[in-house]
Amino acid sequence: MRRLLAAALLTAVAASACSAPEPPRSAAPSAAPARPVTLPVPAGGPIGSTVLHLTDASRPDPWDESLPARELKVTLWYPTKPGDGPRAPYMSVKEAELLLTGTGMAPESSQALSQTRTHAVRDADPAGRGLPLVVLSPGFTKPMSTLTSLAEDLAARGYVVAGIDHTHESYATTLADGRVVGCLACESSNDPGFRAGLVRGRAADVSFVLDRLTTAYPHLIDRERIAMAGQSIGGAAAVAAMVADPRIRAGIDMDGTTYARIPDGGLSRPFLFLGTPQHAPGGLDHSWDRDWRKLTGWRRWLVVDRAEHQTFTDVPLVAGVIGLESLPGMLPAARGAELTRAYVAAFLDLHLRGRPQPLLDGPSPRHPEVRFAAQ
Amino acid sequence: MDPDPGVMIPVRIGRALCLRGLPVMTILRIAAAGLSLLLAAGCSTPAPPRAEAGLPACSPPSGSVKMTPTTIDVVERAYFCILGESQADGRELLTVAFAALVRKLVQDGRDLPGAVMPALTGDRVADWAAFETRFRVIADRLPVLRDGLAALMLVAMVGAVRHARWERPPEVPPDHHDGDGYGLGLRTSAPPSPLFVTAVDGGPARAAGLRPGDVIESADGELAPVYPDAHPVRLRLLRPGTGRRWSVTLTPGVYPRDPAALRVVRSESRGGVAYVRVSGFPPDAANRALRAISRLRAGRVLTGVVLDLRGNGDGSSTEAVRLLSAFVHEKVTAHGCTADGRCQGVWTDDTVPLLGLPLVVLVDHGCAAACEHFAAAVKDLRAGTLVGARTAGAIPGPARRFDLGNGTTLSLPHRHHLGPGGEVVDGIGVPPDRHVPPTARDAAAGRDRALEAALTLLRP
Repeated sequence: MRRLLAAALLTAVAASACSAPEPPRSAAPSAAPARPVTLPVPAGGPIGSTVLHLTDASRPDPWDESLPARELKVTLWYPTKPGDGPRAPYMSVKEAELLLTGTGMAPESSQALSQTRTHAVRDADPAGRGLPLVVLSPGFTKPMSTLTSLAEDLAARGYVVAGIDHTHESYATTLADGRVVGCLACESSNDPGFRAGLVRGRAADVSFVLDRLTTAYPHLIDRERIAMAGQSIGGAAAVAAMVADPRIRAGIDMDGTTYARIPDGGLSRPFLFLGTPQHAPGGLDHSWDRDWRKLTGWRRWLVVDRAEHQTFTDVPLVAGVIGLESLPGMLPAARGAELTRAYVAAFLDLHLRGRPQPLLDGPSPRHPEVRFAAQ
Repeated sequence: MDPDPGVMIPVRIGRALCLRGLPVMTILRIAAAGLSLLLAAGCSTPAPPRAEAGLPACSPPSGSVKMTPTTIDVVERAYFCILGESQADGRELLTVAFAALVRKLVQDGRDLPGAVMPALTGDRVADWAAFETRFRVIADRLPVLRDGLAALMLVAMVGAVRHARWERPPEVPPDHHDGDGYGLGLRTSAPPSPLFVTAVDGGPARAAGLRPGDVIESADGELAPVYPDAHPVRLRLLRPGTGRRWSVTLTPGVYPRDPAALRVVRSESRGGVAYVRVSGFPPDAANRALRAISRLRAGRVLTGVVLDLRGNGDGSSTEAVRLLSAFVHEKVTAHGCTADGRCQGVWTDDTVPLLGLPLVVLVDHGCAAACEHFAAAVKDLRAGTLVGARTAGAIPGPARRFDLGNGTTLSLPHRHHLGPGGEVVDGIGVPPDRHVPPTARDAAAGRDRALEAALTLLRP
C-alpha cells in the first residue's frame, strides 16, 4: 500500500475538524516488503539508551477513569563510554503494528519498521556528570520512538534526553507489565478544550518526570540546565510545561499549534518556534502570532521551506519502509533530519551551555531552507 | 500519516457547512476520518431539484468559510430557498421583511416618503422583483445603512419560519484559546424568575465573586452574549443565605474554562452505579458512553446506569438512538413527519448489545433536540426513569442547510419530530417521571438532589 506523505500535510490543515485517523488515500498493490533502514548517524560520541516505567500516584490517569495513578514510559538517551553491545530497539513489532493500523495503514511493514536500526547501546551505563537535560514530547497519537533520530543526536552531543510516552495519547504505549495500551485520548479529541486539557496534562507529566529524574540521577543530570522540545502537540506541551514549571529554562516547539495560555506577564525564558511554511507569521493558524507577543525573552521564529509537519520527526526517514511516498518538492528526508538536528542543537547549546551560535543570528548560506520569520 | 491536532486552523469544516447531498452520518464519519478533500466533494453533490421551475435553485453549502456582507442578493436567495423548501407564504415573508426595514428607518429617524410596501400579487418571482426594486430605491438614499438593512430583513424573514435559522461562521476573539468560554462566565436556572446562578464557569462572574445559588433579581442585558457582543450587563443580586443584596456590572469577555469539565463524555462509578454524563451527541458519543460503562463494569458488578443528559443541547439523533439501543430493542424511538403528514419511524439500532442494566436519565431545561428524542423515547418505551425537570421543548427535527452565497447558511427543518406515541414534543418538552428541579438553596450548598434521587432508585 502506497500513500503520500502529503496526506500528513492535508490532515494537518483539516485537523480542526478531523482528529481521528484518515483511511489510506490509495490502495495500490504493495511492492515487495521494504528492508529496514538505519537512522542517520549522530554527530558526536557513543550513546546508550534505557527505558524507565514511572508511576505518579499523586494523580489519576486523565484518560482512563478507572486508573487511580498515572503510569508513564520514559526513554533515556545519554552519552556512554565507547564499547559494544546490542542496539536499543526502535519499537516493538506490536507497537509498530498498532501505530500503522491506528494511522489507517496496512500492518505488513510492522516487522521492518520495528527493526529500524538505532545507534544507542541498550542499557549501557551513562558516562559524564552534570549534563544538561532535554525533555522530548512527541506528536499526538505518536510513540516517542518517532523522535529517536533527534534524541540520539542530542545524546551524542552530550545531553541527557528524556523522551516521554504520554500514556493513552499514542496508538501504542508499552506499560511496565508488558501490556500495550492504545489511544484512549483519541476518543475525545474533538471535544472543546481537548487540546488545552491535553497539554496541561503533559505539563504535569513533565514536572513529575523531572522530579524523578533529578532525584534518581543527581550526579548525571544538572538540574539547573533543563530544556524541553516537542513536535506538534508535543511542542505545544513545551509551552504549557514552561508556563507551569520554572525548572525548564528553554523550549522548542516544532510545528505545533499552541494551546496553553501564557500569563499576561509573558514568558521570559528562551523559546524557539521551528515550523513549516504552514506556520508562517500571519498564516491561517493564529496561535503562534498570538503567543509570539508574549515571548519576552530570547526568541526566534524559523520557517523551514519545503518542510511538512513530519519533517521534524523520523516519519520521512522510515517512509519507504512503511509505504509512504513523499510529496514532490518536499525536503529529502535526510536533509530534514539534518536541519532539525542542527537548529535544535544550536538552540540548546546556546541556552544550556552558553556557547555562541552564529546559526541562530540570521540566515545561513549553508541552510538556505531556513527563513528567519521573526526574532 | 498524522491525525494530529497539533496544527489547528480555526475554521469549521464539516458539520457546520455540509449536511446535504450525503446522509448526515456519512458526512460526519468522513469528517471524522480527516478527508477534507472528500468532504468538499461530498458537499458539492447537487441537491435534489426541489425548487419550482423558474425559481433559482437552492444549493447546499459550498464550503466557503469567508463571510462577506449580507446584500439584497443574499436575502433573495433565502427568500427563494424558503419558498422552495417549505410551505411558507412568499407575501408574508416579504411583509415581515419590509416591516423590519421600516422599523429601522423610524427608529433611526430616517423615514422616507417612498418607504411604502409594494403591492403583492402572489406571483413569487414578480413579487420579489417589485420588492427588490422598492428596497433599492430606499437603500440608495441610505448607502451607509444598506447592508445592515438587508441583514435586518433577512433576520426578520427567517424568524417568520418556524425553526429556520440563519447561521454565520463563528467569529473568534483574537485572544481565544482552545476551550475558552465567552460571555459573563455564569449559567442560570430556567426562566421564568426567580432566576438564580446554577454554575460559575469563570471570567467576569468569578471575578465579581458570584456563587451558585445567587438569585438574579434583575438584569438589564443579555446573560448569554455571543462574541462580539460586549455590552456590559448590570445585575441585581440576592444571596439568600446571608440576605445580602448588591449590584454588579459584568462585561462579556473571553475566559478560560476547566478542560476536564468540557469533555463530552465523563463517567465514574458511584457505589456500584455507573454515572455517565453526556453533554452532547457529537459523532461517536454513544460508543464513547458505552465504552465508559464497560470500563466501569470490568471486574465489578453494576446495579444500574445514570445517564446525566442535563444541558445536552446539540448533536445527532443517530447517536441518541444508538445509546438508547443499549437499553431497548425492536422499538420505534420517534417519528419523522413531513409537512403533508407522511411519517417514518426511527427504529432502535439492534446491532448495539443490550446492557441489561436499569437506567435513570437526568434531564433539565437544557436537554434539547437529540436529547429530547432520547428522553421522550425513554419515557414512552419505559426504557428507564426520567428524573429532574422538564426538557427544553426545542426539537425541530432534521434540518437541511443551504448556501446563501456570502459564507452564511440557511437551515430549514424538513421533517418534524413526534415521540414514539405520536405526541408532539417540540414546544412542549418531556416532563420527568420524578420532578426534582434545581433550587437556589441546593445550588448554594453544592447539592445535586436529582442525582441523589437517581442513585437511590438504582441502589439495591
